[in-house]
Amino acid sequence: MTCILTIAGMVKGEEKGKMSQEISLPSEAGGWKWDGKELKYDSRTLFKYIDGAAELYLAYGFENLTVRRFEKSNQPPLIIELYDMGSSEGAYGVFSYEQQDEETGIGQGSEFGGGLLRFWKGNYFVSIYAEGEGAEVESGILKMGRAAADSISTQGPEPKLVGFIPGKDFGLVDKSIRFLKSHVLLNQRFFISHQNILNLNPKTEAILAQYLRDKQKTQLLLIRYPNLKEAGDAYQNFMKAYLSDAQGKDRLKTEDGKWTIAQQKNEFVIIVFGAPKEAEGEALLKATEKKLHGER
Amino acid sequence: MKADSAQRAFFFEEKGEEDSERSLSKMKEKIITRRDFLRVTAGTAMAVTLGSGIRDKTLAETTAKVVLIRNADVLDQQDKVQEQILQSMLDEAAKSLLGTNEPMEAWKKLFRSSDVVGIKSNSWNRLPTPKELEATIKRRLLDVGVMEKNISIDDRGVLNNSVFQNSTALVNMRPLRTHHWSGVGTCLKNYIMFVPDPWAYHDEGCSPLGKIWTYPIVKGKTRLNILSVLTPQFYGRGAHFFDRRYVWPYKGLIVGTDPVAVDAVGAHLLQVKRVAFFGEDKALDVPPIHIMAADKKYHLGVSDLSRIQLIKLGWMEEVLI
Repeated sequence: MTCILTIAGMVKGEEKGKMSQEISLPSEAGGWKWDGKELKYDSRTLFKYIDGAAELYLAYGFENLTVRRFEKSNQPPLIIELYDMGSSEGAYGVFSYEQQDEETGIGQGSEFGGGLLRFWKGNYFVSIYAEGEGAEVESGILKMGRAAADSISTQGPEPKLVGFIPGKDFGLVDKSIRFLKSHVLLNQRFFISHQNILNLNPKTEAILAQYLRDKQKTQLLLIRYPNLKEAGDAYQNFMKAYLSDAQGKDRLKTEDGKWTIAQQKNEFVIIVFGAPKEAEGEALLKATEKKLHGER
Repeated sequence: MKADSAQRAFFFEEKGEEDSERSLSKMKEKIITRRDFLRVTAGTAMAVTLGSGIRDKTLAETTAKVVLIRNADVLDQQDKVQEQILQSMLDEAAKSLLGTNEPMEAWKKLFRSSDVVGIKSNSWNRLPTPKELEATIKRRLLDVGVMEKNISIDDRGVLNNSVFQNSTALVNMRPLRTHHWSGVGTCLKNYIMFVPDPWAYHDEGCSPLGKIWTYPIVKGKTRLNILSVLTPQFYGRGAHFFDRRYVWPYKGLIVGTDPVAVDAVGAHLLQVKRVAFFGEDKALDVPPIHIMAADKKYHLGVSDLSRIQLIKLGWMEEVLI
């Protein structure tokens, strides 16, 4: 049995630049069979399903959610959640925001741990979990994941910004890249200020990544603003609120004995937090700048 | 101390100010940045963490009493709750909390037969309030003489539930777990369903949650707060925030009349467990600052662990706090 769902456009109708995609979610995998019911949520009703976490998905452009339950005798049920994020960047963002476990090779990016499989592919973010545990259940979750990923025919690009940060040669930590769309989300991954001193808004994009050298952690924050003026305003605001005692310089050794360096490059703001040495922070910043320059 | 711990220290030490209301408003005016927490780390002036010291004896300045009761047999090997044991745990907790000789004396101190009682549960499907706990509370309310029609157990439907709308008393109970927006899923957090716009209370680690407790539908009605720590979750990241790797069979209940104190003890338990498990207090998505805000801004109870008398009953193996 196969069920065809027309996902994109179901809630809001066709929009310019968006393709309607038909998803044939699996009705069976690993012996678990769909119970025939389907729950659907849009941006107004998502809260009822995920108990207060709807803002995360909404921040990344959530459009709708489809939930199915699968059963197998003597085994706990499996639940599949298919989030249409409206764009592959949004799907990547939700995935990256929580990524912490090992890659499984499912979709365009995945992780499996604690009985939860999460992956993204195209415009979709998918999570699959069981209401119980065991080796058979874990195998079933992975089979269900592969079948679900196969049902999404179209891939999509990662946020372009991801390509602008230095890689492992600078000590980039695996699974540390977060694509962020609001200051609330940024603070939950790396607290900077209760107030939105970087003026993050739905039109801005940010990448937060962690680098490790000699067991010392450094954070790189790269933000793209819609235009030069907004980048400039945000940079000045940050300098005033965070580095007001830097005496006009773009860097300061902060209270932890580490360096914070911030620069504006056209519509981008680059900030290095916690560099153990000024030169290391400078090098990370310059490497980012070089990558940005290469794209222009 | 790591910056994350320092962040907690900052918020929880704020309460020591002479004029807490003024100090909280000062916090709002000033732009607080990461560097404020780094200063805390460097200065040691506020180097006391949340877990700095629960009192286990009554002291003159103690202003809240919380009971932690555990029983090694309350869960069977499949983690199924043994209802009779749970009932006896709850009875013992009530007796100790109210200082009575018999459990029913305690229940009768808490509720009148004329009461209309809403039992605010938590139905989140990954880790709900155990049905057995709901049943034990309801049983004791009936024993007190509350009419069955005047008792209702609900979570997401409370705003449209006539018992809750007309309630004279509330019981607040939920499982203790980490939470994406509030740091810790607490008794304070459990009342978010009493507002039509829950998302409006998520800012700054859900700091405004205490405000809900000032609304007429709940104000002054809560007679008992219970955190189920039968199988609490001590760590988790992100919106799904359920991860069975971080759930453990603690087999207990945290019970009190002061929601802030109950929550402070619960948050402390999870913090201590994280340190035991990870070797450090691995940062949550947000620190549970709503507990301190409920104390300092909304005056709902005591968040300072040094002013909470914790009475520990029952099974003490790996009690942690």
